[in-house]
Amino acid sequence: MKTDVAIIGGGPAGLAAAIEAKKHAKVTLIERNEELGGILQQCIHHGFGNFIFGEALTGPEYAEHFIEQMEGIDVMLNTTVLEIDKNKRMLLSSPDGVFEMEAKAIILAMGCRERTRTQIFIPGTRPAGIYTAGTAQRLINIEGVMLGKHVVILGSGDVGLIMARRFTLEGAKVEGVYEIMPKPGGLTRNIVQCLYDFDIPLHLSHTIVEIVGKRRVEGVFVAKVDENFKPIEETKRFVPCDTLILAVGLIPENELTKKIGIELDDITAGPVVDEGMETSIEGIFACGNVVHVHDLVDDVSFSAIIAGREAAKYANGRKIKRRKIKVKAGENVRYVVPQIINGRDMEEITFYFRVKKEMENVVTRLLVDGEVRKEKRELIVKPPEMVRLKVKGDLVMNANSISIEVKKVA
Amino acid sequence: MRKFICIQCPLGCEIIVEGERIEGNKCPRGKEYVMQEMKNPKRVLTTTVFIENAIHPMLPVRSNGEVPKELLKECMKILAGVKVKAPVKKGDVIYKNILNTGIDIIASRSMERK
Amino acid sequence: MKVEKKVEKYARKKGWKVKARLEDGILYLEGEVPSYKEYVEIGRYAGKQKNVEGVVNRLKYKGKKEVKRKKGGNELIGEADVVIIGGGVTGCMIARELSKYKLDIILVEKAEDVACGATKANNAMVHTGIGEKMGTLKQKLCVEGHKMYEELSKQLDFPYEKNGMWIILTKDSFADMPIPSFLGNFIARFIIPRIILRRAKKLGIPMHIVKRKELLKEEPNVTSRALIAVYSPTYGVTSPYLFTIALAENAIDNGVKIMLETEVVDMITEGEEVKEVVTDKGRIKARYVINAAGIYADMVAEMAGAREYTIHPKKGSTLLFDKDYGNYIKHSMTILKFPRMEHYKGGGAMLTFERNIQLGPTLMEVEDREDTSVTAAEIKQIFSRFSLLLPNLPRKGVIAYFAGLRAATFTEDFIIRRAKKVRNFIHVAGIQSPGLAAAPAVAKMVVGLLKESGLEMVEKKDFNPYRKASVVIRELSVEERQKMVEKDARYGKVVCRCENVTEGEIVDAIHGKIGARNIDAIKRRTRAGMGRCQGSFCLPHVAKIISRETGIPLEEIKKNGNGSNLFIGKAKCLLEEENEN
Repeated sequence: MKTDVAIIGGGPAGLAAAIEAKKHAKVTLIERNEELGGILQQCIHHGFGNFIFGEALTGPEYAEHFIEQMEGIDVMLNTTVLEIDKNKRMLLSSPDGVFEMEAKAIILAMGCRERTRTQIFIPGTRPAGIYTAGTAQRLINIEGVMLGKHVVILGSGDVGLIMARRFTLEGAKVEGVYEIMPKPGGLTRNIVQCLYDFDIPLHLSHTIVEIVGKRRVEGVFVAKVDENFKPIEETKRFVPCDTLILAVGLIPENELTKKIGIELDDITAGPVVDEGMETSIEGIFACGNVVHVHDLVDDVSFSAIIAGREAAKYANGRKIKRRKIKVKAGENVRYVVPQIINGRDMEEITFYFRVKKEMENVVTRLLVDGEVRKEKRELIVKPPEMVRLKVKGDLVMNANSISIEVKKVA
Repeated sequence: MRKFICIQCPLGCEIIVEGERIEGNKCPRGKEYVMQEMKNPKRVLTTTVFIENAIHPMLPVRSNGEVPKELLKECMKILAGVKVKAPVKKGDVIYKNILNTGIDIIASRSMERK
Repeated sequence: MKVEKKVEKYARKKGWKVKARLEDGILYLEGEVPSYKEYVEIGRYAGKQKNVEGVVNRLKYKGKKEVKRKKGGNELIGEADVVIIGGGVTGCMIARELSKYKLDIILVEKAEDVACGATKANNAMVHTGIGEKMGTLKQKLCVEGHKMYEELSKQLDFPYEKNGMWIILTKDSFADMPIPSFLGNFIARFIIPRIILRRAKKLGIPMHIVKRKELLKEEPNVTSRALIAVYSPTYGVTSPYLFTIALAENAIDNGVKIMLETEVVDMITEGEEVKEVVTDKGRIKARYVINAAGIYADMVAEMAGAREYTIHPKKGSTLLFDKDYGNYIKHSMTILKFPRMEHYKGGGAMLTFERNIQLGPTLMEVEDREDTSVTAAEIKQIFSRFSLLLPNLPRKGVIAYFAGLRAATFTEDFIIRRAKKVRNFIHVAGIQSPGLAAAPAVAKMVVGLLKESGLEMVEKKDFNPYRKASVVIRELSVEERQKMVEKDARYGKVVCRCENVTEGEIVDAIHGKIGARNIDAIKRRTRAGMGRCQGSFCLPHVAKIISRETGIPLEEIKKNGNGSNLFIGKAKCLLEEENEN
């Protein structure tokens, strides 16, 4: 089988990329699950699409808006990419058979996966009743089962907070949300509307030090942590519960990316991309959470539109220059995407970045060849909230050095 | 004394209300927010109902407007008993005028008959 | 001095009241000690004495928990020439070996699947015997058992590979000994390797010395503090559960009846003979009883009136790494460190047959026979111990950790013999490492013991030594894979993305001879859920497939045994409860 643009993943990133690429090329979308929409189908809460649609949609509503535009795209459901190489050849497996596919351009849109209990080394037993937040969300919202009655949640990122509310609404008692950092990980809106609305206690600078229970979770030991995140023994106490939900972070899912040999960014754990979302291998693009974990699905869609457009152009034979100018993460910037500017002819480019520490009253700046070329005031920047800086494309097109920094307003 | 965190902007001001006094807001929007929260807090409800003959056993639903916060639990209990049959279209009314709020519960997505 | 006096004196010095009695080679301890720690200490001291074949430790201590026995069922549920208690690798190997003879055999296992105890939680090494104490029964059986694996794996179609093992000596090997470092390094380089080679020669195990330079060329990630290595090319690795399942399935094919979720709670004896084995499901008439009950072997022996040892569980915890690190080392490896801990080979970085590195196991005495928790201290200990071997192996590579309990007796060696006073009861107890490697030889030994005790054993003509494993799709060529999908479309649907397991394989596991009924049983058979996401993605799908194939409602699917329910009910069940009230 042959196609112009093959898109791996039918979640928000893959959908938006496909719709954009379709305008210029023949597109095939490969999805391993039985339906399109990815994680959005289980995110039944509202709050999606404020930027794109100007209103707060639920996850399924947001997904359906894109799914409705899939006509003309060859969609392969229940299909898994087994092998992939840098020549854009893939081996696929589906109930219809095992077959090869060759594409002129590929877009990686596999999303991310959740960190598990092991990856943060929580000691204890391995009973039933421990779920990552996303798995819990799927089980309750899609599969129609209830997981537990007394729930402890570790991690105050948005998924953890959303699940706290969800469990409560379904009649369970959330005993508490525990967060190892001194500040909550999720959006303030979610802290207020998911926890405070339901009087769910949030314990900052706390972690779980042991899981107890032989067959099913019987409880957890929690403890306060010191400034080095080490649990303080004297503060250890037992919280009885039958369910432990882990919302301890997401990791871009880059198993295929690694197979191809694409360069990865150590900090984002995703591929290094340029302003057109192209990876270190020509003609292979990436977008959405596979590149770095986003807070808002709108940004996922935006990055996918760029990837879709640029991939289609590549498939149609357009050549670009590759200047490979690295975007440096300057003062109080942990990482920046795109990591590379190649000098594509683009009207505007949005730099997405995360800060290292919280700061109020700041200015975010783009420096080109040592000079400030764009500034934007921000009331506050926080590590859990992605910051955007939109600039005109020609500002960086011919740059020899580029950096992004966050400065306190004098 | 009641404490609020304003969610009108990312600053997240902590606002304290004591009698007539409102303190801690850095802008007028904070005051507005707190007044609304004091008077009649309302929320959008999102949940699921059982669905038959569809790809999944649950259908995601939402309220087509905000319902008073104190009625959320009661709405959940009512919706726990609701069963619908596929096919359903996004936006279809699943439960009309829930608890006489004037708000309908509508389908969040379409589901075809299996 | 007499053994009893010696033990009593030892206790007296410490201020504990202990009475010792030696009878027929068995040392019985009675009295009281302050805590479990001292209970183990005196037990181990007693076990080391000459002419003590077993230590029965009846010492009391504060907080000692008595294990409550379940109630027995009254109904007669079976009758057999041989009843085997325990469905671990030992019990299943014995069942398969005995199925060569014209015998009615019943194997009872209290868990919901075979291989659920120590078998599933060991590190899969088929040891050669070089690491065992010279002259012990376990060493003899390990050397013999190891040699039988090749043939068995061909007959029974389970994974087995001679992947080899490095025994590595480094500048840290003698760092904890009170000797100057130059001396330590000298002993490490010139003395120890020769001792190992001499032993290997005696045991007929091929081994050779590899110099530092060559070692580091082969294994560039090994510490540069390495001095020398001894390489054992025949060291093997298998899958303990796939092996055990293979044995059980082949035994079933040859007429053995396996009763799962059947817990032995008592025995009916008459004179010096067991007449019936009582389980929670009912009674089984038995001519002979084989005690392969692992961690509970002493309690089972007690039921037969043949308590000749006490088990003191020794926990071993292991960290498992992502397959991404599968080529980080070529062969499994261990570091020799002195002084050596008693009855502990020291663990290492062991490769599974699927090339996951395992760091561990640790060794820790625990009182609770179900305590398979991994503690923070153990995790720390594993990293600090094995960073001496692989200093740069990153922590983030860990995808799982688990613990198993070694069913150690105080004499530490295997106890495989006829009971002293019960004519038809055979002990296969104290099976800890290298129990997996030794299992084939243990089973042969049991055959001998049964013959000795008068059981007539006639070989079957129609014994079928072969068993075929169900298909593993990821191991097939593209063409073979395509053929399978044509046969059944479900072989085309990948359910577990990390380990690349298809729906068809999960269905096969459910409909196998010992059908998987829960998430962990599927995991052991297919690897679904064993990868880096640890089942986050595939658990909902696997649960649904089990439900669909077995008719068990989704909300009743379990992780493993009784009480491990994944869910408390259907969605809305808590709201409906509130509505009813």
